[in-house]
Amino acid sequence: MPAIYLGEFEQIVLLAVLRLGEKAYGVPIRAEIENRAGRKVTVGALYATLDRLEAKGLVHSWFADATAQRGGRSKRYFKLLPAGVEALSGSKKVFDRMWEGLHV
Amino acid sequence: MSEPPKLAESLLRRLIGGRDADAVAGDLRETLEARGGGRLWYWGQALSCLAVRFSLYRRSLPGIGTDFSRALRRIRRDPGYALTAMLCLALALGVNTTLFSFLDSLYFRRLPVPEADRIVRIERQEGHFCTWASFASVRDEFRTVQAAAVMFFFDSIEVGRSGFNADIEGVSSNYSQVLRLKAAMGTWFAPGAESDSEPSMVISYRLWKTRFGGEPDVLGKRLRILNRAFHISGVSSPEFNSSLPPLMADAWVPVTFRSRGARPNLVARMEPGATLDSVKAEAAVISARLRAADPQDQELAKPAVVMPQVGFNSTSRYSFYAPALTMLSMVSGIVLLIACVNVANLLLSRAAVRQREIAIRQSLGAGRWRLFRETLAEGLVLAAGGLVLGMLFGYATGQALEWLLPSLPMALFRGLQFDINWRVALFLAGAGALCAVLFSLPPAFANSRGGLNPAMKGSDVRNSRQREIYSVVQVALSLALLVASGLLVRALGRVQRIDPGFATDRRFYVNFSGRSEFDEKTTPQLYSGLLQRVKEIPGVEDATLSWEIFPNTGFAWSAPTCSPQPSQVRANSVEANYFDLMRIPIVSGRGFVHDAGVQQVILNQTLARKWWPGEDPVGKPIWMGSCEETKGQPGLVVGVARDAKYQSLDEDPTPLFYLWRLQDRGSYLSLIVHTAGDPRQWMKPVLDLAAREGGTLRTYDSDTIDSAIARSLWEVKWQASLLGAVGLLAILLAAVGVYGVVACSVAQRTREIGVRMALGALPLDVQWMVLARGLRITAMGIAIGLLLSAFAVRFLRGFLYGMSPFDPIAFASAGLAWIVIAILASWYPARRATRVDPMTALNYE
Repeated sequence: MPAIYLGEFEQIVLLAVLRLGEKAYGVPIRAEIENRAGRKVTVGALYATLDRLEAKGLVHSWFADATAQRGGRSKRYFKLLPAGVEALSGSKKVFDRMWEGLHV
Repeated sequence: MSEPPKLAESLLRRLIGGRDADAVAGDLRETLEARGGGRLWYWGQALSCLAVRFSLYRRSLPGIGTDFSRALRRIRRDPGYALTAMLCLALALGVNTTLFSFLDSLYFRRLPVPEADRIVRIERQEGHFCTWASFASVRDEFRTVQAAAVMFFFDSIEVGRSGFNADIEGVSSNYSQVLRLKAAMGTWFAPGAESDSEPSMVISYRLWKTRFGGEPDVLGKRLRILNRAFHISGVSSPEFNSSLPPLMADAWVPVTFRSRGARPNLVARMEPGATLDSVKAEAAVISARLRAADPQDQELAKPAVVMPQVGFNSTSRYSFYAPALTMLSMVSGIVLLIACVNVANLLLSRAAVRQREIAIRQSLGAGRWRLFRETLAEGLVLAAGGLVLGMLFGYATGQALEWLLPSLPMALFRGLQFDINWRVALFLAGAGALCAVLFSLPPAFANSRGGLNPAMKGSDVRNSRQREIYSVVQVALSLALLVASGLLVRALGRVQRIDPGFATDRRFYVNFSGRSEFDEKTTPQLYSGLLQRVKEIPGVEDATLSWEIFPNTGFAWSAPTCSPQPSQVRANSVEANYFDLMRIPIVSGRGFVHDAGVQQVILNQTLARKWWPGEDPVGKPIWMGSCEETKGQPGLVVGVARDAKYQSLDEDPTPLFYLWRLQDRGSYLSLIVHTAGDPRQWMKPVLDLAAREGGTLRTYDSDTIDSAIARSLWEVKWQASLLGAVGLLAILLAAVGVYGVVACSVAQRTREIGVRMALGALPLDVQWMVLARGLRITAMGIAIGLLLSAFAVRFLRGFLYGMSPFDPIAFASAGLAWIVIAILASWYPARRATRVDPMTALNYE
């Protein structure tokens, strides 16, 4: 059983960060979630979740240096920590086991 | 290219701040550029960030579970302190529960009838809306309400040959229809029942159970009230007591009164669609009509009042009970305050103990807000525990009072219910939460205060000074309560020592109601015969007859001259030997004698002085009623009797005259019997004799004269015992407070005491040092408390039977009592201090 339980939205956010790899900052994460999960997400909700995941030690974030793009504002990048990967795979296993032998 | 809204961006920067804000603003700008505009969208996103950041949850809730579980853990580790705190709170909250459920039952309850929110009372500013005579027309005129007339009265109900006193509601026959009452058995009255030759009556469920043993055959039984025969047609449902709870009626009869003076209260149900305003408007119109029809009537000139029927409401009744209730509320508020201070003190001393822990946590980066919250959580847990215990305690007290109060000679207190409903629970929860905040704030501030240095060293002068101040406040407040209850006890003692002016010992009375079948010729003979037979009972020294028995008084019209407007004077109608038996000396003239012709009158000294100042009134004519009624035939003053008390022990000398019962038309006499020993032993033989030989006379009440006097003091006795009980509670709480402060200072100074002992201090020195601390706190408390009392007792003036509220004995004894309590409270910590082993003390910590 996973030591850390993840909510559905937390899983979605973690998976988006994982998929984006090195390009994971606010704008692409939201775009990824919108495109794949078909969900509109506000910036506030997204950053609240990311902050929570960081507090739990599942992701790590850092600020990149400001560039001339987007009004000279810096980007905050995210990446998954090993604990985050573990929590995700744990959650997946739970669902796999629950789905085993079921056809809907 | 679209620019983001400036204001939204600067809000983000200001309220979120730092690089976080920068990153968010960058994300938003990038998306905005990609979307190609949409200021509304931008605002929505920016606000979503701010909403998340400033949500209550994010600001306070994370970790609130931790706060509470830590608080619980600390309490589990030291249950003694938590229990003390909860008990202190429980006692104070219990008193407040009882008081509030009392107020609730007096002021906030609706009638237990369907759609009770549609019931209104129609009256006048300190008066009645109409007379009984005009009620029928008023009822028919009202379109917005259905009105019923009610009059509360106290009378004897006669069943067969015996009777008992009962509270009765005389009502119009539409009463049950207006209130939509249901009967537990039988039926309520039919319309027009008041004009039946033998009307039906409804008895209360309680009366049915107590007087009629709950027998189903009670229906159809015949009774007499107000000189009329009734038959029981129904038993009311158990929850309905009267149209004006907490007054409790024993029976309801359909009546109508024709005399001009009789005025009913109107209780009415609003018709569908009617509002309070429309009823008020209609009442004003009808009131104007009534006034025009009878311009002489003073009461009809007062403005009409319509108010919802909630509790014991009335323009005049509120003001009557307000002083006593205000006093009670103030007193229980003070007790609650003292309890809060106690708990604050306890928490502060805990804060002193935890100083090091807190300092270490602070130096490791624990925020002040976090420490503040933890202390608050602890307070809330303690308050919750105190609340639960307090509610149980208050419920128990309420039940005890519900059992005790009916013994009071006051109909109002018989129906009070102290059950805990949602209003009481809500009030208590509010009081508990307020307490929690009150007593948690000082320790919360103490805990979250900065300054690691003194804390690490282990001494905080500020903290212990604060606790001492709280203790002083407690002593002062409880001293004020002690002074107040001392004053009431002194007033009670004083009023009990007042000489009533007549003999009370070994005497008892039996009340008769001869009204039912009164005959001007035979009834006086009946009394005479009975009196003779009673005197023959062995052990009866003498017996007499009197119209009124203390504390009841009657009135009669009379005047010293032949005048068309005689004045109303207190009067009594007695047997000739009354003065002898009651030891009321005739100071001039003579008593009543059998020569008749003229009506003999005996004045008391005050009336003699009032009507014939400086003269001897014996031999003067006196008019009993107006000149017309007496047909110019005056009575004759034959004597003057010494003054006595007639209605209450503390009354001023009151004018009164006596008539001879054989020359008066009185029929409602009481027998007074003077016995050789304990008067109660002769009650049964006399009552048996009265039942056997009394003919049409019916007995309904009997007691000793001594207890009639004691009963008249119930009010001050209740005030003294209620205030005394609450005062004791306050002292107990404050004593715990003083003990706590002294004991804590001993614990904190263990090292110092050890050093002193090691350097050769005697145990007595150490004991005195500790004791002196307790006494210093108490002395300051007493000084402030006496000042406070001197200010507060002026509110008590109305309760003191004329005694000055600045009674030196009450003040001095309260101060002395507190000194004794302080010595007792400091004694144990002082003794413990001397047992400190210097070696252990030096190694302390």
